[in-house]
Amino acid sequence: MFNSLIARLRRRTRAWARRRHGIDSDPLVLSGRRIYIVPTRLGVAFASMLFAMFLGAMNYANNLALALTFTLGSLGLIAMHYCQRNLAGVKLASAVCEPVFAGQLAKFRIAVENLAPLPRFDIVIANDHSAAAAVRVDANARVVTEITLPAARRGRLALESFEITTRHPFGLFRAWAYLHMDLHCIVYPRPSERAMPPPPLETDTGGAQDSVKGDEDFAGLRMFNPGDPPSRIAWKAYARGQGLLVKVYAGTAVSSHQFDWDALEGLGVEARLSQLCRWIEDAFAAGRAFGLRIPGTDIPPNIGPSHRQRCLTALAMFDEATP
Amino acid sequence: MSATQSVAKATTPVASIKRPASTKQDRPQLSRATLHLIWVTGCFLLAVLPHLSSVRWWIGLLAACTAAWRLIVEIKQLPLPHRLVRAAIASIAFAAVLATYRTLNGLEAGTAFLVLMGGMKLLESRTARDLTVVLFVSYFLLFAGFLYNLGLLSLPYMLIAAWLLTGTLMLIHQASPMSIAEALRKTGKMLLQSLPIAVLMFLFFPRLPGQFWALPAQEQAMTGLSDTMSPGDVSDLSVSGKLAFRVKFDDNILPPPRERYWRGPVLHEFDGRTWRRPRYGFVERPLIATGPKYRYRIVIEPHNRNWVFSLDAVTGWPNDARRTADYQLVTTNRAISRLSSFVLESNTSFRTEGPLPKAMEKADLLLPPGRNPKSIELAKSLLAGVGSNADFVQAVLNKFRNEKYYYTLEPPRLEADSVDDFLFNTRRGFCEHYASAFVVLARAAGIPARIVTGYQGGEYNPLNDYLIVSQSDAHAWAEVWLGEQGWVRVDPTAAIAPERIERGRYTGLSDGEFGAGGFLGENPAALMVRQTWDAINTFWNDNVIGFGQSQQRSLLERLGFDDPGLTELGTALLISFVVFFAAISAWLAWQFRPRARDPIVRVYDALCRQLGKAGIVRQPQEGPNDYLLRVVAQRPELTVQINEIRALYVGLRYGPALLGSQLSAQLSRFKFLVNQLRT
Repeated sequence: MFNSLIARLRRRTRAWARRRHGIDSDPLVLSGRRIYIVPTRLGVAFASMLFAMFLGAMNYANNLALALTFTLGSLGLIAMHYCQRNLAGVKLASAVCEPVFAGQLAKFRIAVENLAPLPRFDIVIANDHSAAAAVRVDANARVVTEITLPAARRGRLALESFEITTRHPFGLFRAWAYLHMDLHCIVYPRPSERAMPPPPLETDTGGAQDSVKGDEDFAGLRMFNPGDPPSRIAWKAYARGQGLLVKVYAGTAVSSHQFDWDALEGLGVEARLSQLCRWIEDAFAAGRAFGLRIPGTDIPPNIGPSHRQRCLTALAMFDEATP
Repeated sequence: MSATQSVAKATTPVASIKRPASTKQDRPQLSRATLHLIWVTGCFLLAVLPHLSSVRWWIGLLAACTAAWRLIVEIKQLPLPHRLVRAAIASIAFAAVLATYRTLNGLEAGTAFLVLMGGMKLLESRTARDLTVVLFVSYFLLFAGFLYNLGLLSLPYMLIAAWLLTGTLMLIHQASPMSIAEALRKTGKMLLQSLPIAVLMFLFFPRLPGQFWALPAQEQAMTGLSDTMSPGDVSDLSVSGKLAFRVKFDDNILPPPRERYWRGPVLHEFDGRTWRRPRYGFVERPLIATGPKYRYRIVIEPHNRNWVFSLDAVTGWPNDARRTADYQLVTTNRAISRLSSFVLESNTSFRTEGPLPKAMEKADLLLPPGRNPKSIELAKSLLAGVGSNADFVQAVLNKFRNEKYYYTLEPPRLEADSVDDFLFNTRRGFCEHYASAFVVLARAAGIPARIVTGYQGGEYNPLNDYLIVSQSDAHAWAEVWLGEQGWVRVDPTAAIAPERIERGRYTGLSDGEFGAGGFLGENPAALMVRQTWDAINTFWNDNVIGFGQSQQRSLLERLGFDDPGLTELGTALLISFVVFFAAISAWLAWQFRPRARDPIVRVYDALCRQLGKAGIVRQPQEGPNDYLLRVVAQRPELTVQINEIRALYVGLRYGPALLGSQLSAQLSRFKFLVNQLRT
């Protein structure tokens, strides 16, 4: 009951802070004005203890006990200033968010940079879903923390808000700020189950027929799949400890898949996207070339990670309103 | 793309942040939790320590045992004691506390209970929250320590303990790595910063008169005088040099030593061995002052009685005291359980107006039937040889003076008829024995007589003009009713040991803080040290322990407030708060201002700022070479300086490491050039 009330209050203040500050720049130096601070439960307990001490000291007119009480009390108030100052002036910047598939956790990485010549302690970056481990940021240093958000559906997943919190130095106060940076993560469609076989390979009439001789253009490396000819294995890379990789030559791509929206007649939009996503993933893993054709986008056959990313992003952003 | 790179470069996994330097490689490292537990346990014991002298010994032992047990469990990685075991220990200990003190509503019982609670909590401590509870109990114990001990050294002890406690509090509430040294340093700094406002609060916080809830203090050990007297038993007269009270006379006019009688309780009832205070009050006879009047302030150490010792006989006293029919001054509403000061007036010469009230006469002539028969015989024979009551008194004193009676602080034990045994057999005793014997003889002769207890003498401290009266100055004398004169003081001890009355301490004290010898044989250096220490203590008592409404008032008056009251105190407090916390806030902002730690970078940043103000703003991507070359292009007149600065900066920052002397030379040259450019 109490907790839900607190949670509601939090949402309210966050929305209010959002209206007050608008979208934050990235990177952002946190100004002291937008840091909120309240005593924690421990702080309330500490204050109650001091109040009891105060009553006792006044009752006995015991000046030394009173002095102890006042010292601890002012220490508490000074701690409040330290707590706020532990956050004020922190520089926050986001890092690129790696795309994920729907159903996975999107990982947002936030760099916390300390511009001051004194260390900052116990800084926690958190959102509603997760909290990064508390970090200490030494003087003029920078630490990257990671918070997550479940990516339920494909498209552009925005991290609406997150907060930076500290309870340093004694845990008596909690200082925090709400941040509303324009952070988002591309969420690919969830790959469907392997139910439907991929469309057959199409022959690339423009390319060389002979796959053995057409090895002029080295295109890159891909993971080894059983059945790959040993002559294609990149032994040097293996020796470097990079695992079994296979050299891929552009000229050898004699055939490619054409993944076509129209080939999936009868399925809904999301189901089609999921199926296309599954095919792309399988083809990529097998090192085969593929092209993608969906309404509004036509990506010619190609191979490689950036091609995969381009295709998957096209799926993710299909029909999404571009921001 | 650039963002990804820079993040990748700067990523510092939390785990790799270097551990505190204190942990050595060759020693097994203590886990964070163990370290926290050790510190909390240490703090708890530190807070229990000051109480060891006031609580029962087994309470201290219990605290030590629980602490040891918990530490062993932690280090050997054993399971915590079972819940039932803990509950059993807790209830046994709780019952023991209750059985010992029969209450929890008392200072000592409360402290014992607090120690018990802390120990039990420690025994089950697992989480930071548990440890916090132990720390809070420790804070309370520190606080309670002040209710017992207000000595000069207790404050630094408590402050240091509070520092360690708070440092530990910081340590256990850090989720990110922090060494204990760091925690203590930071806490120490914060504690020092909090002192100014704590002092201001101390000075300006309104004080209340009196207590609003008094804990019973009957369990506390009584020091000093008691309200009974049994000469012949083991000496219950305290011979310690502990302070009883201090007196400061107005205009520094002191009565002569022979008149320094400090009146305490008056004993009337005698059962043949023990003297007691009367069970019923008497009617007061008026007291007429005849001699010089002394005005003085007396600061009485706590003795948990309502007796206000006063120079005999007191004629002026404050509202919170009253004078009994025995001319003893007592407080009206409370025991003196803390340092208390009173402003009094006394006249050392006085007489009382008759007639003696019937009840008092009856009480002061009463002797237990059948006891001390030889003494009664002696009194009768002495009375037969003299003409008046005054002559009888003199005859008894002469007997003490001329016959073989000895003054000693270590008299033999006396038989049941203590006065007979003393007068005819042992003949050795101190003030109690002589006063007791004298009063018995006087009563046997039909002269109303009573015992007065209190203090006699006192030592003058020239450093602060205080007269110091200690427990070893405790004394007992007699008063007899001599018709027209009324009550007359008779000090039989003066007959046998006049030095004691003339000089103050006569005794051959074998122990006591103030050492043996008193005025007789103390060397001047030791005397000096003792008097200085006492002067410091007096200052402490007057200005810190005894800081109250009146001192506060005079402080505010000196600060320029007219007729200071609550409003003025509140104003002063508010102003202090606003100013202080604004200052703290500003200071912290200054400390945390963005600034490179490297002095080279700092100076370079300052240069860039300066040049930026002059219109040549450094672009984020511009390195020192590009930027300074651009500066030279725009401001050709600065070519020479800028080029040297550039060379120095690039060399210092990116060049090979330099030796100390070279480094400082180049650095100062660099600073010099930049400063020159800035002006």
